Amino acid sequence: MNIDWQNFFELLQLPFMQRAMLGGLLLGTTGGLLGSFTVLRQLSFFGDALGHSALLGISVGVLLGISPNLILIPFLILFAIGVTYLLEKTHLWNDALLNIVYSASLALSIIILSFVKEYQGGINQLLFGDVLAILPEDLIFNGFLLVTCVIFSGLTIRTQMLLILNESLARVRGIAVERHRLVFVVLLSLVVAVSIKSVGVLLVSAFIVMPACSARLLSQNFSHYVSISTALGGACAIAGVLLSALFDLPSGPTIVMTQFTVFLLAVTFSMQVTRGEI
Amino acid sequence: MQSNSPILTVEHLTVQRGRSTAVKDVSFSLAAGKDMAIVGPNGAGKSTLIQAILGLLPYQAGSVKLFGTACRPDTAPLLRHDVAYLPQNFLVDPRIPMTVMDLVGLGWDRLGLQLPWVGWRDRRAAVHTALAQVEALHLRHQSLSSLSGGELKRVLLAYCVVRPRQLLVLDEAPAGLDVCGEGDFYRLLNHLKREQGWSILQISHDLERVRAHCDCVLCLNQQLLKQGSPAEVLNPDILNKAYGPGFVCA
Repeated sequence: MNIDWQNFFELLQLPFMQRAMLGGLLLGTTGGLLGSFTVLRQLSFFGDALGHSALLGISVGVLLGISPNLILIPFLILFAIGVTYLLEKTHLWNDALLNIVYSASLALSIIILSFVKEYQGGINQLLFGDVLAILPEDLIFNGFLLVTCVIFSGLTIRTQMLLILNESLARVRGIAVERHRLVFVVLLSLVVAVSIKSVGVLLVSAFIVMPACSARLLSQNFSHYVSISTALGGACAIAGVLLSALFDLPSGPTIVMTQFTVFLLAVTFSMQVTRGEI
Repeated sequence: MQSNSPILTVEHLTVQRGRSTAVKDVSFSLAAGKDMAIVGPNGAGKSTLIQAILGLLPYQAGSVKLFGTACRPDTAPLLRHDVAYLPQNFLVDPRIPMTVMDLVGLGWDRLGLQLPWVGWRDRRAAVHTALAQVEALHLRHQSLSSLSGGELKRVLLAYCVVRPRQLLVLDEAPAGLDVCGEGDFYRLLNHLKREQGWSILQISHDLERVRAHCDCVLCLNQQLLKQGSPAEVLNPDILNKAYGPGFVCA
């Protein structure tokens, strides 16, 4: 494969490319940070269900003639709160209930979109995203979200540790477990909502899960784990954007494949450590 | 707190589990610096009673007072901060990247909104002291996933005692410890009670240990059958009533 380096460096000078790199860095870092807690709280599938249900929010927006960007955030927050309520009240298995919600919302969104013929051309962007389409106002919101997640994680990290370890111990210590869960799922739904524009509905959960799982394989200590997950999230997003520009590949899937490559390297490293080779 | 003033007062507590009544109209009080055991057969409602006292389960009737203050939604979080709890069958997911120091340190402060490095020197010193107290200092850098059941129990006990508190609640805590570990465990409980004034409420199936170490006993089988000193409660009449005829031959 011939690489046109001159074209690549020219591309890096363009504002949309710079916005894509900065947007990728902000979203990847936020996803890696919040993902580290999401994975340990066994909410990975929750993130996936949120991503897929976003399609329902977008479909409703299209049907009502409202911009998907405007409807997505409130829809996902309400959806996350509703699903959390169902999980607490039904006492069913989390994965089974999420599967039900996820399948039903996907089915309903496909039915709705079948009525909206003129929108079908845009479905690819919804499904796979486009980090190159990030606008300056998106960067401001993404930056604000990253700062919010950093403050939330920094101030509650030790509470989160106890919640992850054992909710009963946390409850006895006077920690408002339900309130913590609610704030967490609202933040998670915000991260999913803003990431969909860049990586799409189908791949958004990778932003949350992959850096965290790679970090877990590389660390035994909680604070190292959170830091590595955050750093990997940002680094993989930047690397993915650059690789997509270099090889003219779709940006969202390239970021996810970069995360997957790092995950495979982490698996190899972890296996070598276990065997005592490192 | 005056000695012998109640640290915990439970009045007419009734707890439903599903459609059945697990605990019915139970009243008792635990004085400061005393060690109380709850005994009774499986399904007697011992763990349910403790979980209701700690706010882990809702109760349908009655009241709970901790340190002289009624437990209500607005007061309970603050009151429970002075309670340490060691649950039955505490399992650790081996995938959680946490060390012994991390876990014991979580018992040290209030865990409100605060930066993680605030007070870390004091926390580290307290963690070392607590781990030394339960003879588990050598485990401090190990990950939780590498601990045996008995080691995890010691570490959890260190989590409970890392900060001076007023009440320690134990749900069959010594289960899983070897003979030496169990002896050390009861010696530590005695030390906490005598030297630091802790009150202890524990569920136990080991009636001989209860007889030897506890100041008072509740015998429960959904309802309170008897409360009093070990000599008053652990007699054949009461035990046969709780566990069934023939449990103890007079």
